[in-house]
Amino acid sequence: MSTPSPGPQGPAPGISAEPGIVVQGVQRAFGDVQAVRSVTLRAHAGRVTGLVGPNGSGKTTLLLMLASLLAPDAGSIRIDGVDPVTDPQAARALLGWMPDALGAWNSLTSRETLAVTGRLYGMPRAEASVRADVLLGEVELADLADAPARVLSRGQKQRLGLARALVHDPRVLLLDEPASGLDPQARIDLRMLLRRFAAEGRTVLVSSHILSELEEVVDDAVFLMAGVTVDPARVEAASRRARPWRVRLAGTEAAAAAPSVAAVLRLPAASVGVDRRDVVVSFESDDAAAAALRELVAAGLDIVEFAAAQGALERTFLDLGDGRPPQALPPDAGADESGAIS
Amino acid sequence: MNGQRLGTIVGLELTQRTRSVAWYVLLGVFALLLLIVTALSFLAWGSAYRPGGAIYSTIVYITLLLVVLVSPTLSGNAINGDRDAATLAPVQVTLATTLEILIGKFLAAWVTGLAFVAVSVPFLVVATLAGGGAPATIAVSLLVLVFEAGIISAIGVALSGILSRPLFSVATTYLVVAALVIGTLIAFALVGFTLRSEVTNHYRSIEFDQYSGDTFPCMPGETPSSEYPCDDDVEVRCGPWQTSTYEVPRFDHVWWLLAANPFVILADATPTQYDEHGNPSDLFGQIKYGVRSAQQPPDLEQRWDDCAPPSESERTVPAEVIDESTPSWFVGMALQLLLAAALMWWAWARTRTPAGRLPTGTRIA
Repeated sequence: MSTPSPGPQGPAPGISAEPGIVVQGVQRAFGDVQAVRSVTLRAHAGRVTGLVGPNGSGKTTLLLMLASLLAPDAGSIRIDGVDPVTDPQAARALLGWMPDALGAWNSLTSRETLAVTGRLYGMPRAEASVRADVLLGEVELADLADAPARVLSRGQKQRLGLARALVHDPRVLLLDEPASGLDPQARIDLRMLLRRFAAEGRTVLVSSHILSELEEVVDDAVFLMAGVTVDPARVEAASRRARPWRVRLAGTEAAAAAPSVAAVLRLPAASVGVDRRDVVVSFESDDAAAAALRELVAAGLDIVEFAAAQGALERTFLDLGDGRPPQALPPDAGADESGAIS
Repeated sequence: MNGQRLGTIVGLELTQRTRSVAWYVLLGVFALLLLIVTALSFLAWGSAYRPGGAIYSTIVYITLLLVVLVSPTLSGNAINGDRDAATLAPVQVTLATTLEILIGKFLAAWVTGLAFVAVSVPFLVVATLAGGGAPATIAVSLLVLVFEAGIISAIGVALSGILSRPLFSVATTYLVVAALVIGTLIAFALVGFTLRSEVTNHYRSIEFDQYSGDTFPCMPGETPSSEYPCDDDVEVRCGPWQTSTYEVPRFDHVWWLLAANPFVILADATPTQYDEHGNPSDLFGQIKYGVRSAQQPPDLEQRWDDCAPPSESERTVPAEVIDESTPSWFVGMALQLLLAAALMWWAWARTRTPAGRLPTGTRIA
């Protein structure tokens, strides 16, 4: 990440020139409802940042503020160094926003929708129309280019919304639940598109609660709980906690395999759970899991599958959601949780 | 304000409107109504002396009425309807400014309203060919129709930006239209009668009871002649001066209320044709005379003297009243512009992004 060097007169305090998204102590209330209490985050250029949080945690409100549509009550926001509150025009030229509630002009075709959006970003007519065709190809809507938006399926509308956010080739992409309604192929395409964007040095912030989805695309994750971004140290602690692994033995029922796995790993039988075909064992770290695998193989068990039962994001998310400070838990607390899965 | 973005927003709005079937149905119903009204006014005024002006003014008034009734539905959900459909925020997040969005939507609603005026043009031509209005009458009445369509579009778009529910803002636009059309009449009458002034009336009469001769005396200013043999020698006795008071409404203080009425503006702005007695020859002219007369302050000191020779009657003809009074269309248009501009400003403040305080129940996207 290359930061432009501040000019001779420029004290350039801290954040102003940094590419990417920098949010500092942002708050926003709607009447009595404090939707966003305190958000501090950084989404770096060249990386895909996931915004993770339960429903109602303030993800959409935060994205609206980043998209220059909503003013924060307190705190500061910089989009590639631009303040969207004081200079929304400049911020809008930089950012592409894909809302969660996807509104399409029903009587316009996909091509017209994109061309109109291009015109609203100041493109000449010819350029806007060329850009529309390129984007339609990119989101696989070329076949439906001349169909009115009202006949599009939810997933197709979602892709049109994504194309609309990309019309002006934004440096910063804000995507609110982009994968909802997409079929598996479209999800893979979306993932590749986001990776490509990041590789081009752009900033991508994606909110979602489909964690397995995010897991495969994000470089960093920001956790938002009840309007507050979770302290990175707490996230770090939560992600270090024991996580369950699935172990499957060839030709053996999980119920029968569980005692032998427990015996080899010298664990109390009660701490080894069963989930459908798999034995579930918790390990505190990847190293512990690797050591256990070696032991199991050395003991002659026919291991055919040995994999983390949950993604790291999902695990962290669930741990944070407990509302208990993770550091207060005993280090082997994961044991009873793996039991809870069975 | 950027011409390209403004043009794009107007184009976007118009494209969406012209692709809906409902819009053509509405235009068709509008044309049908005008057809019926035109036929009826030909029948109704057929026996009148020189019916052209009457037919023309009837058709223009009906057109204005329909435009005033249709325009709120064309504009009253421009902003909040888009917000409900989640199509507003994607425009707000582009380089289009709030002012461009508001003005663009207003222009689109106006042009849509003008389509209805355009539908009425053939009927106005028919009325003109049938002997109706002078070219100036036609030009001015069309301009006023265009202006009124614009004012109501602006009010509708503004209210749709101020209020969060489309149904509520359309209804409110109708209420504002009703306030202009009917409310001004009611306010004019009620306030005019509330602001009363006392008129003092001085009068004296001839005391006929005091005279007992056989002849009848000449009144002041009369001279005897063979046809009118009054007795010039008898001196008529005048009674004492008497004073009475009564109250009159002061419409001259509230005439501007009436001026804001679209129908009054239309009548008042149209150049009046007079007949040989100086009386207006069409409906517009008669309404104009009424409104202009309301500007005249009442005479608060009246004298009535039977003993003085009758003064040369100073009855003012309508043409003079109209020429000497303030053109009320000008005041009315200024009031309407002020109202529309103020509402637009309010809507701008409400729709501006990044949004500060939001009206309760509003989602930004």
